[in-house]
Amino acid sequence: MKRSLRFWTRYTWESLEVVLGAMAILAVLSLLGADREQTADFAAQLPYLLCASAIFGMMMLNTGSQTLYVPLLLSMGETRWNVLLGFHYYRVLVIAVTMGLCALIWVLFPGELSGLGLRSFPTILCVLVAVSSLGSILGTLFVRWRWLGTVIIVLLCGGAGGLIGITSAASLNGGFSAAAVVKLAGYLVKTPWWLVLIALGTLAADVLFQWVLLRRREVKL
Amino acid sequence: MSLTCQHITKAYGGREVLRDISLTLEPGRIYGLIGRNGAGKTTLLSILTAQNPATGGTVSLDGQPVWENRKSLEKLCFSRELTANAESGLAAMKVKEYLRIASIYYPGWDKEMEKRLVELFQLNTKKKLAKLSKGMLSMVTIIVAMCSKAPYTILDEPVAGLDVVAREQFYKLLLEEYTETGRTFVVSTHIIEEASDILEEVIVLHEGRLLLMEETQSLLERVRHVSGKAEEVDAATAGLELHHTETVGRSKGVTVFLQPGQSVDETRDVSVQPVSLQRAFVALCGEEERHEA
Repeated sequence: MKRSLRFWTRYTWESLEVVLGAMAILAVLSLLGADREQTADFAAQLPYLLCASAIFGMMMLNTGSQTLYVPLLLSMGETRWNVLLGFHYYRVLVIAVTMGLCALIWVLFPGELSGLGLRSFPTILCVLVAVSSLGSILGTLFVRWRWLGTVIIVLLCGGAGGLIGITSAASLNGGFSAAAVVKLAGYLVKTPWWLVLIALGTLAADVLFQWVLLRRREVKL
Repeated sequence: MSLTCQHITKAYGGREVLRDISLTLEPGRIYGLIGRNGAGKTTLLSILTAQNPATGGTVSLDGQPVWENRKSLEKLCFSRELTANAESGLAAMKVKEYLRIASIYYPGWDKEMEKRLVELFQLNTKKKLAKLSKGMLSMVTIIVAMCSKAPYTILDEPVAGLDVVAREQFYKLLLEEYTETGRTFVVSTHIIEEASDILEEVIVLHEGRLLLMEETQSLLERVRHVSGKAEEVDAATAGLELHHTETVGRSKGVTVFLQPGQSVDETRDVSVQPVSLQRAFVALCGEEERHEA
């Protein structure tokens, strides 16, 4: 297990580099056309961009790790159970670091928006768990049925492109005003019960589905 | 310590690719696994190392199951043939990253040896695997196999794509490592002639069945090629196990596998010659009979 932790911890930092890079791009795009007031509130809005980057980052990286790292580690003598545990440890670490960074930013830049952000933690956690589980399920499907790969990649690229487009358009039209973000944060403060169920359901489905396929999987590099 | 498989079968859909294979790999030996394309060599090796579940049968190391057993898996290294094409996830990975992951997962990884072999093979570790030639990919698999220091190390087609110099380097390296450490090596290869000098024991797979497992020397001592006039050859080899008969006009050549106590009747007007491992293999797995006018 020590080896597994060593490997997946390192992979987490590499993944976070991608997430932070994506966040930086979104931040630059959202700053386009922002006025002085919006710029002042920008720090408190940054965690939302970080979460959006983490969502797409995890979906893409989960697919990548399912297709590359899982068979590679099995080929190097890791047990299937340890691969499964290691992979979920990695996901927990990415979510924990993302949420930790969000909390740090909101604490460092206090205000109405930051307060709402901190109170919306359960919702953000549910969304991150659900989306990363979905990414993992898609990755597992990709490994099992290769033709799905094309569909998944098209959807993910479309999603990422769409996000960048929306961010650009919104920033140019003043959509990233503090008021708009406060409105969004207001929704996020309330954690609906169905979101909790979705998060738990996708997580359980992911673990179960992954194990069913991993248990008897033939290693192919 | 021995690696044993018993009654291994493997089927994909309804097609059986391995049929009731039982064998024991003793420690401190170099085994050669030979067989034609599609004989089931890679499938067998991947089952021995728990990288592919068998349809039936068991694999154990020191009496302990290998499947999902970290302690057993630590003693095994199956350095697979790499295919870093566009479809493979490995394509974008750099050599140094691949070696770094291997160094994490093989508990006995020898960092010094890794440096030495990278230099020996003049491998650029900053290159992506997809940018490497077939021979260079083979070098990477050889480095992983050697540096893993796993007591049971399995190499699947390690010399595929290597030039003759690199192949010689590999055989020398294998022998040095074997002499120094007494590790067990299983080498799957199609270049039988070259490898025959280093293989202590050969395992022949044919159409998913274990056709033969025997010490190389004893096998070569009991295989003979008998040639001469057809009727003389027939008389000299009557009652013996014959393989790969070749008839050219009135002349005939046949490969004979002698059992203990048997011999070719050399009082007949025939030529009896020892055969190479490659010829013995062709006789076993090649075309059954060939006639030329």
